[in-house]
Formats: sequence, structure tokens, C-alpha cells
Amino acid sequence: MRAQSKFVLLCSLLATLSVAAQGALPATETPGLGKNIEFTEYDLPNGLHVILHQNKSAPVIATYVLYHVGSKNERSDRTGFAHFFEHLMFEGSENIPRGRIDKLISGAGGNLNASTSFDFTDYHFNVPSNQLALALWVESERMLHAKVDETGVETQRKVVKEERRRGVENRPYGTLFENLAAMVFEGSPYEWTPIGSAQYIDQAQIGEFREFYKQYYVPNNATLVVAGDFEVEDAKRLVKQYFADIPRGPEIPRPEVTLAPQSGPKLKVIEKENTPLPGALHAWRGPTETSPDAYAVDLLTNILARGRSSRLYQRLVNQEQAAVEIQAFPSLLEKAGMVGVFAMGNRGVALSRLDDLIKEEIAKVREHGVTPEEFEKARNQKEMELASAFGSMQSRARSLARYHVFYGDTNLINTELEKYLSVAREDLQRVANEYLKPEAVNILHYPVPEKAAAPEGEAK
Amino acid sequence: MSYGAKSALCAFFAVVVSAVAETDGVDRKTQPPAAPLPAATFPEFKEATLDNGLKVFLLETDKQPTVSFRLVIKAGATVEGGKHGLAEMVATLLNKGTKNLSAEEFARQADRLGISVEAAASDDAVYISGTGLSKHAAEVLRFLSEAVLHPLFPAEQLEKERVKALSRIEAEKKEPAALAGKLRDQVVFGDHPYGAHATSDSIQKITRADAVQFHKKYFVPNNASLAVVGEFDREKLLPMIKDTFGSWKRGKAPSAPALKAKVKGVKIHLVDRPGSVQSNIIVATSGIPRNNADTPELSVVNSVLGGGFSGRLFQNLRERNAFTYGSSSNFDQRKLGGVFSATAEVRNEVTGKAVTEILNELKRIREEPIPAPELDLQRQYVAGNYLLSLESDRRNLERVQDIDLFGLPKDYYQTLVSRIREVDPNEAQSLARKYIPPKDVAIIVVGDADQIRPQLEPLGPVTIYDADLKVKR
Repeated sequence: MRAQSKFVLLCSLLATLSVAAQGALPATETPGLGKNIEFTEYDLPNGLHVILHQNKSAPVIATYVLYHVGSKNERSDRTGFAHFFEHLMFEGSENIPRGRIDKLISGAGGNLNASTSFDFTDYHFNVPSNQLALALWVESERMLHAKVDETGVETQRKVVKEERRRGVENRPYGTLFENLAAMVFEGSPYEWTPIGSAQYIDQAQIGEFREFYKQYYVPNNATLVVAGDFEVEDAKRLVKQYFADIPRGPEIPRPEVTLAPQSGPKLKVIEKENTPLPGALHAWRGPTETSPDAYAVDLLTNILARGRSSRLYQRLVNQEQAAVEIQAFPSLLEKAGMVGVFAMGNRGVALSRLDDLIKEEIAKVREHGVTPEEFEKARNQKEMELASAFGSMQSRARSLARYHVFYGDTNLINTELEKYLSVAREDLQRVANEYLKPEAVNILHYPVPEKAAAPEGEAK
Repeated sequence: MSYGAKSALCAFFAVVVSAVAETDGVDRKTQPPAAPLPAATFPEFKEATLDNGLKVFLLETDKQPTVSFRLVIKAGATVEGGKHGLAEMVATLLNKGTKNLSAEEFARQADRLGISVEAAASDDAVYISGTGLSKHAAEVLRFLSEAVLHPLFPAEQLEKERVKALSRIEAEKKEPAALAGKLRDQVVFGDHPYGAHATSDSIQKITRADAVQFHKKYFVPNNASLAVVGEFDREKLLPMIKDTFGSWKRGKAPSAPALKAKVKGVKIHLVDRPGSVQSNIIVATSGIPRNNADTPELSVVNSVLGGGFSGRLFQNLRERNAFTYGSSSNFDQRKLGGVFSATAEVRNEVTGKAVTEILNELKRIREEPIPAPELDLQRQYVAGNYLLSLESDRRNLERVQDIDLFGLPKDYYQTLVSRIREVDPNEAQSLARKYIPPKDVAIIVVGDADQIRPQLEPLGPVTIYDADLKVKR
């Protein structure tokens, strides 16, 4: 992706992890919720799935293309490939000279970006409503015949290494997520993260990029969403005009994710010079994002850590003053999932203290479940979250695509709250026992390094 | 397309035929023509002033059944009187114990309805926001008023927040971006409160009486504004606001110390962070206040230099030289003044070269006229992205209050697009000369001094700082 963009799953520590598990907007008739998000969807003969959502509240259009390929499609000796390829998609096409894509979109008053996750890669444009044709032309150009030369590959190799240094190596706790994935998803293609390893990007040959493009960047592996201020008939005509003749590609291999049973709790200690405060993370395998348990797990993590009345905040931050902050997140993916709890300790707090407190709180919820008041709170928080989740056309476009691709139900954008509201209070205790097992925990420790002898007086 | 109507077959053959495929007269080779940019209309809002001076802005939208309140107290870190971190501490404590609700009860009752009330301080203001579902508007207002009008600042809560604040300060000493930002302000703003940051010492000195006093003195309605956006009934909400905030007592509006510091000459300020694998670079100089009259036109000049992916810094440092993942520039415009920054995060071995390239770009934009197509692109980019941003209710709410907070012309947002579009190359160059002085810059670098210092020394005198941002020698 382009810089300054959100590498969704890697940036800013854990704050963003839960983004991957976020929900949708509410339906017309569900309690307290807003207007239905209307859409039309259809397939082109070449397999491209098209979703059109018209909304004229502002003269803007979001286009969004999701390719169903992410880091889990990579070979273990080519990690980082999907993300690297995403960078190359900004190089140009047969008809768009190298380096022009951003100039076309920016010069039209728009903006663009892209991101790569475990399961998919997405590209989005936001443009003023007079520029729909431009946006579709550019996206179709790079789906039909993107063009990449050695100069572009060499440049982006270096750029991606800087992206990795910035997001992973140079910032406190930056390696947290890749250590976590390696533990929780060991032995599967989820065990590496989308940023991957720099060495493999260097080893990849240009022929491999061409193969990857021919295999995955094809209409039958893509979903196109257009959301905003346009006429549906115009959009249909333009989509046909630009995308209909892109040849269908081969069938898409879908990697299996099989995880060997975890034989006992695991602990990994990450010693880093730049760790400022003690950090403890406890994570378990969770359900996949489409599992019926996903909703209960999400509500449970809210009760654990959302808001200052949550259990972990009250215990670790307020009562014991052991932690500066806590987070709980489900990170649920297409073919596996994890649930984690992270505590950043106050100065001088022992990691074992953070561990004990987390364990106690998790044990309590396993043994006693959640109270009716907590349950009501989690439902209300979810209602609020979903009611405010779709203010922008871009957020609508992204969610429509994800609901189609991963859930096979685009209309979840209107009905997801019902799924949450159909969870019973007892389900929360059940999923706590099912997933948050003490014998299946993965613990990561970030200790604060011992003060080295006299760094002060040392001459530099 | 050239295969005509045999589409069923074509779909099959297309798999094999890899050479492609012109569609029904579609011209793939050239950019499709477009109608002119749609008009950018700033959303209508209603303004009222209560008898006690509180300004109220109401922005009704119908996109989502939620309501957001945002109360701005026009006093922030500039008036904390040397107790750095006090304004932020006051903000943090607003919802941690009030006349009618203990900290725990506040959290429990608000969370229970999915309502959130949060506060934060900047140099110029304290911001308190309250959000919830529209059906809970009255409740949101109640929690907001508890926090704004009736905080008790319990000593016990202050001690808890002090522990956390001290931990956070410790954490920021290891975060390169935090170090660079703090040192930049310290160097550019000098002794002015804009240049100060909270330290362990200053946090230790904050007392409950300080917080109470700050609140008493500065939380006054004639020095505040309240804006609401979302789905609500104006006829009902305005009276509710009057009931809630009408009896809030007037006070004296504060005055902040004047800002005089100016960056002179080229100096390098290096924070030694052993083990860094990148250098965080900020090339900074004295900037302008938010109400500077050149702001709209200058935003185009800045965009040519360092806005977005087509800006010169990004094109040079990333696309041409591959030094960095990103590079950009901006004018951070506060109430009394500001700072211009051009930034990049680069690997150790190219640190000196990257600084040189940033300086080259600052010189180039002053010395060479901006080619017309490039200026046109950036005018479109800035105007179009402003138009796109009008989609965000939240941003619009902030804009309405910014007019009041920073003293902008009333029609600022109505005239913004036309001003952006009318910047010509001459005006752009004269603005660049006026506001972007490559000979008066503070070059802030956070990185491993052993590795990068030799690269920086040829560029100017180097001062080395430790993680407390104190000069090392």
C-alpha cells in the first residue's frame, strides 16, 4: 500500500486489531436504529461481483475493490508477498504510465489508499461525484493489465523495508503482533503477519509477481463496490464498459488452515531495549469470523475491557493501579481466530502481577458468567457502535464488500445487530469456557530492560 | 468489444485469449472526461447564544440515529501557569467523580447506555465530548453537564491519574515520534507554553487545588462553545441545553502569554536513541496562527511541497530515492502561532541525505515557479478533498467551533474552495518565499547518534539531547 496508509493489522499496537472484527449497521426496524442501506448486487459474466449503493447526502463517491487474497495465501518462504504486491499495484498499467495513478486521482480532487490483511487486499478511492468514470477506469486498468518494471520493484523493496522498520522494529511493542500470530497460529499460514519478512521480498523474482497477478488479480476473485452519489444505471453502464471484458482467471486455490491442538499454555518473553513499560498479553484461539460464536465472543470482550466500567479496567487500572491501560480484542479471521487481552503495566509493576490479575478475571467470567446489567450494557454499546459505524461512503463500501465475500450475505450491513441481540447471556459464559481455557493460553511478555550499567556517562 | 455479441462464448474464450479486448467503443487509452467538480456547500447550522454567553451550534443531519455534543473551553495548556500537564489532568478528571456521581457510577451508568463522555486538552482549549444514541440525547447531556459543571476532582482519583500520567511520560521517552514532536515544540516555541511539555517533575507538583482552581477560573460559559451534530429535534434540544447550561455563571475570559520566539539560522537538534533502526526527521520553522489570512492559499503551496502521495517530498524521498515509507509537510496552526514541519522516517544510513533532500525541496519551492499542471493538480486535490471531508459530521462540528475558537471569518468555509482554486503561480511562489525559509530551520532528528551524527555534522551545528530532552553536553 501507499505510505501514510493504514496497514490495518500492524499499526499502532493493538488498538487497531479489533478493527478487523468490526460490525455493521442496523436494520430499519431494529430497536433505535437508522435507515436501511439499500444496494444492488450482481455478477458480471467474468465473475466480478458488483455492489452498488446509492446515497446522495453528499457529492462524493467511494469505490472499493477487494481481492480475496492476503498473507495466508503466501508460501512460507515468501511472506510479505501479498502486501508487497499491493505496493506494486500503484505503479501503472498498459495505459497509465508509471507513477500516474495517484496523480490522476488526486488531480481529480480525490484520494486513495490500500491495505493488506491476512485474508484480503483492498483498494479504495474517494472521489467527488463527477469522477466515477475515472475511478472505474483506473481500477479496471490495474485489474486488466497492471504494469510493473524493475525500477518499481527495486524502489518498493526499499520502501517496504522502511515501512517495516517504522511499524515493527523501531517502535515499542512493534513486534507484538507478529510474535502473537506465531504463537497462536503456529504451523498454519496465519503464523506470519502481512508485513512479512524483508528477506523474502528480496528473494522474489519478477516472474513470481506476474504469476501472482495472473492467479489472484482476476475478476472472479474480486468484488467491486461503488457507494455514494451516482445514478445506478450510469454506474452499471460504466462498470460494464470498463470491467466486462477483463478475462476471467483460473480457479482460485484456497489455503486450508488446520491448527494442531495446543498441548498446554505457552509463554514467550520478548526482550527489547525500547520497551518502556511492562506489557503482558494473553491470547487464545477463537472462532472464525463467521462462526455463530463470533458475536458472543465480541460481546464478551466488550464486557472485559470496553469502557471504564469494564471488568479489566476496573480491576487492573482502577482498583489495583497495576496497569496504565488494558485492551481486549477479538481478531477473528476467515479460517481461524484469536481473542486477546493486553495490559500495559504501570512503572515498576511485575509482569507476574499483571498475569495473575488477568487470570483471575478470566477465571471469574468462566466460572460465573456475566451479570444481567453487564449483558444489557454490552448490547447497548453494540447498538451505539453499529449506529455510528457507517457515516462515510467508504465505510459502507468496505463493509458491503466484506459481508459479501466472507459471510455470503451482503445485507448483514442492515441486520448484524439482530445477530448480536440474539445472543443469550448464558452464551457469554459458554464461549468463555470454550475459548478462554487456562491450558490453551498464549502469553507474551515485554519486560522493561534492566538499566544497563552507566549508560549516562558513556561517551557517544 | 471486437468480439461483438457472442458474449457467452467470449466469456469462455477470454480465459484463453490473454490479449485483450476493447469494449463497446470504450477508449481505454485516455482519461475519461468529467463534468466540473460539484459545488461544495457547507452544511447549514443554527447558532444561538445563551444569556450567560455560551455559544451553541446545532447541526442537524439524518444519516445516523446518534447525537454528538462537543463542548470547547477556550483555555488550555497556555494558561496552566507553569504546571505542565495540568490542563490535561483537569480534562482527565472531569468524569472521575462529580457532584452526583462517583467515578465508578459515572462509568457504570454511562457505559450502560452506550454513552461515552471523554475529554482532552490542547494548548488552546479543553474539549469535552459526549456521544450516544439519539434516543438518549437527554442522558448524554446530563453526563456532559456533570463533567463540565460539577466535577469534584477527588484527591484519590488525582493520585490514580498521576500514577498513569507518570507511566505515560516514561513510555514516551522510548517512542521516537513522541520525542521528535516534543523537541520540535521546545525548540521552535522556546519559553512560551507552546514549547513546554509535562515532565515527571511537573506532574508530581500538580495538586487538587490546582485542578479546582483551573476549573473555577476557566470553565466559564462566556469562554466556551457547545456544538451538537446528529439526528435530534432542534425544537426540543435547544430548551434542554438552556435548562442544563443556562445557570452556568459567567467569568473572566483568560488571556494567554504572547508568542514571540522565532527560529533563526540552521541548527540540528539530535535526540540520541541508541538502537534506533530509523531516524525520525522533522525540519521545522516558525509558522502562523490559525487565523492567518493566507491560510487557504498557503494550504495549496504546502500540498505542492508535502501533501498526499503526489507532493514533492513523497515523490522525492520515497518514489525517487526510496529513503522512507512516507514524507509530508504541514502547518500546525494554533491560536497564537504555529509551526511548519517537513517530516520523514528514514533508515540510519541515509539520514543526512534525507535531510538534504528535504532542504532542497524547501529551496526549490521558493526559487522556482511551480509549473502550472502541478499547481493545478494540487488545487484540485486540496479543493476536492475539502469537499470529500464535508461528508464527516464530526469534522463539520469541529469547523463550526473552530470559527469561534480561532477567530476565523464567518464565511471562512463558504469561501474556502474558491480561494483554493484561484491561487496562481505568482501568488504561490510569493507565499512560499514568505513562509518557507530554508535558512531558518530547526532540524530535529531522533535516532542512534553514533550512527547518524557524522552525517548531520556537515549540515550545521549539532546539539545532542537525552530522552528527557535535556542537552547532553
